[in-house]
Amino acid sequence: MSTRHILLGLLAQGPSHGYDLKRRHDERFPQARPLAYGQVYTTLQRLVRDGLAEVDGTGSDGGPERTAYRSTAEGARELAHWAGEIAPPAPFVTNEIFAKVVVSILSGGDPEAYLRAQRAAHMERMRELTALKTAKGADLATVLSADYALNHLDADLRWMATTAARLTTLTAEVDTA
Amino acid sequence: MKSLLADLRLAWLLTRGSDRREWWRVLLTAVGAALATGLGLVVAALLPLKGHHTVSVGGGLLDRADTRIGVVAALLLLFVPVLGFLGQCARVGAVHRDRRLAALRLAGATPGQTRRIAALESGLACLAGSAVATAFAVPALLRLWHSPVPLAWAGIAAVAVGVPVLGAAVSALVLRGVVASPLGRIRRLRPAEGPGRLFRVATAVLALSVVYIVTTPFHDVPFEFALTPLTVVGVCLLIGAVAVWLTGASARQLGEGVAARAQRPAVLIAAERLRDDPWAAARTHAAVLLVTVVGSGFMGIRQVLLSVLRDEADQYAEGIGFYENGLNLVGLALLFALALVLAALAVGTAESVATRRRGLAAQVAAGVPYPVLARATLLETAVPLAPALTLAGLGGTTIGVWYGAAASEHTAIPVPYDALLVPVAVYAACLLAAATSLPLLRRSVRPGELRYA
Amino acid sequence: MSDIGGTAAPLLAARDLAKAHGRTRALDGASADLAAGEILAVTGTSGSGKSTLLHCLAGIVRPDEGTVTYAGERLDELPEKRLSELRRTEFGVVFQFGQLIPELTAVDNVGLPLLLAGAGRAEARQRAGEWLERFGVRGQAELRPGALSGGQAQRVALARALVTGPRIVFADEPTGALDSLASEQVMTALVGTARESGAAVVLITHDAQVAAYADREIRLTDGTVARAGVTA
Repeated sequence: MSTRHILLGLLAQGPSHGYDLKRRHDERFPQARPLAYGQVYTTLQRLVRDGLAEVDGTGSDGGPERTAYRSTAEGARELAHWAGEIAPPAPFVTNEIFAKVVVSILSGGDPEAYLRAQRAAHMERMRELTALKTAKGADLATVLSADYALNHLDADLRWMATTAARLTTLTAEVDTA
Repeated sequence: MKSLLADLRLAWLLTRGSDRREWWRVLLTAVGAALATGLGLVVAALLPLKGHHTVSVGGGLLDRADTRIGVVAALLLLFVPVLGFLGQCARVGAVHRDRRLAALRLAGATPGQTRRIAALESGLACLAGSAVATAFAVPALLRLWHSPVPLAWAGIAAVAVGVPVLGAAVSALVLRGVVASPLGRIRRLRPAEGPGRLFRVATAVLALSVVYIVTTPFHDVPFEFALTPLTVVGVCLLIGAVAVWLTGASARQLGEGVAARAQRPAVLIAAERLRDDPWAAARTHAAVLLVTVVGSGFMGIRQVLLSVLRDEADQYAEGIGFYENGLNLVGLALLFALALVLAALAVGTAESVATRRRGLAAQVAAGVPYPVLARATLLETAVPLAPALTLAGLGGTTIGVWYGAAASEHTAIPVPYDALLVPVAVYAACLLAAATSLPLLRRSVRPGELRYA
Repeated sequence: MSDIGGTAAPLLAARDLAKAHGRTRALDGASADLAAGEILAVTGTSGSGKSTLLHCLAGIVRPDEGTVTYAGERLDELPEKRLSELRRTEFGVVFQFGQLIPELTAVDNVGLPLLLAGAGRAEARQRAGEWLERFGVRGQAELRPGALSGGQAQRVALARALVTGPRIVFADEPTGALDSLASEQVMTALVGTARESGAAVVLITHDAQVAAYADREIRLTDGTVARAGVTA
């Protein structure tokens, strides 16, 4: 996930300052990991350094001093390029659950019990997300991001089900290797 | 030859692996084929006879050439209910068979192969029936007739072989729609099918010839000649056809009218089923209607004829007994025909229940009481039959009255009350026949059926 | 094993159910509780006995062994007449397909339970129409099931299950034949209405995303409840 491109995208609607960008990000992408203000600030500085954004002005509406930024022409080009580029489909398999199962076998633990507990945790999270998206007045952005997470959790669950059914074979394979 | 053998083997495998309902179809088809073969064999044995013979069966009707022809005509007429019965039997497990054939096509069988396999399946069933019937008929014939003429033997052979071949051919013809598409009739798309062009043309021709015969003056000839059996048969067929058409044409209006006003669930379900496929009742009841026309016509004629005979007993050489005997034989044949069409009706109703068993089981699971479904099943038969049987009965009675009017030049005619009783009796018998499917319905709605698609 | 809060007796309780289909043991000592207004998912692999459990709970099938108690009545001992009345009035049933009568229009299908209960035709049609409206299929009221899409047909089926105001809705893979969007519409309609009316739901599914609509999940393995699900 590229924070710089997301900030560039938010700047595409017009100049904005750091705090405002963070608020709009969290609003636009519900269920995503919220942006830290410090991260917004460093990213903006890097964008300026690379010529993709520039300082629009400094003001303070009676409050603390705030610097506003705007996107440059090069920033707009870069943004268009990034938005049209395909996301590489899972280039590396980072599967923490699988790692835990294998480590559990190696250390003589109970991978089956772990998978059961993990499944329960997944289901619990899926119920939360479902409740969130079916709540009265949930907006489409919430529904869609909940759906995204639900589908991924569901994929995990299906993977866990087939893994649980093949634990004996896996144990034999890990132990002899 | 080799490919035919392969097809035969596949047909046998498929029949052997199919479920119980398929076996029912095979069995019923064999029974129908046996009946057809039996009728055909009797006709084949009678046709070569010329002039006067003394035959120990048939109450003297088979002795004289003219009455013999009448018997042959009656036997030929009996083919109508037999064919109706066979048609119903073909419907048993039809959905299942259609799917199976479609699956064969999907698996790569050519249309020709599929058609051959389907034809072989029916052909084999018909062959079994025809073989049994022939095996019983030939010894019986030999006992009556020590040295049949070669022509009779040829006829017997032709019938024994012809019935299975005909069965296979008809089956191939009927299945052409299924064979054409590998996807089969997966979705139930049934445009309310009216009668085919053949039916309409035949009805028109029949109507014209009846009009021609009736308008031809016959004052100068004895009425027996004017009212040849052919005319009566023509009129009966015409009235039967009109009654069938009326069943189909009125079913939609009847269904719509009843459905709109229905307050009770059973009535609503029956009416909507009628509206959904208005011609289904016409297809199922065609043979019933024809038998009703012939039956009530016969009752009328019988009553008139017997009263005429009694009045003029001294003019007839053979005595009334001979004629009464003949009339009773015809009545017996009609009863046989009625039994056959009722059996066909029962088979049709049972098949309709069996096809819908999963849906019916779901209804009961959802709390629809069994008696409601049972009433709906009976109403489905009762509602469309009422107007059609009324017309068929009135038509048949008219034939009787017409005959009576012609006879009244000789004597006073009685009112043919017996004829009017026929449709009422047939109606009751039809309801009973439909009721035979209720035990099957009860079994079909068991929750276990929910498990099968 | 009831793990729902409160001391109130469960609305529906099954104890040690066993049921065999021929030689296969579909249920082998399964127990489950359902609280009033609770949405319970029953999950498990194919052949784990999910549908048989639902059939026993809804009084469609009598278990070979064990008891099913609904609001103080022993379903496993009731005569068929009373069971069928219960299913018609207190329960609503939704299957994957097949519960709509193919020859009846959508509105008459929904009105059927009301007709069975003795309502007049006009009243039944009017109330059925309101339910169709609620599930967004009013426009399809005069269509027969064959002319409906899978999602529309299931929403009509839901309307039929809910029209009598049941206390429990039994749903056996209600979204089994649907794509994810249609499935979402059906589930939202089912859960939303159940929560509004306080009806409890027993939801059979093999789909975790569908099971996530429930408050609680029980998993069946080889005819027994593998483990009580986590309380929501």
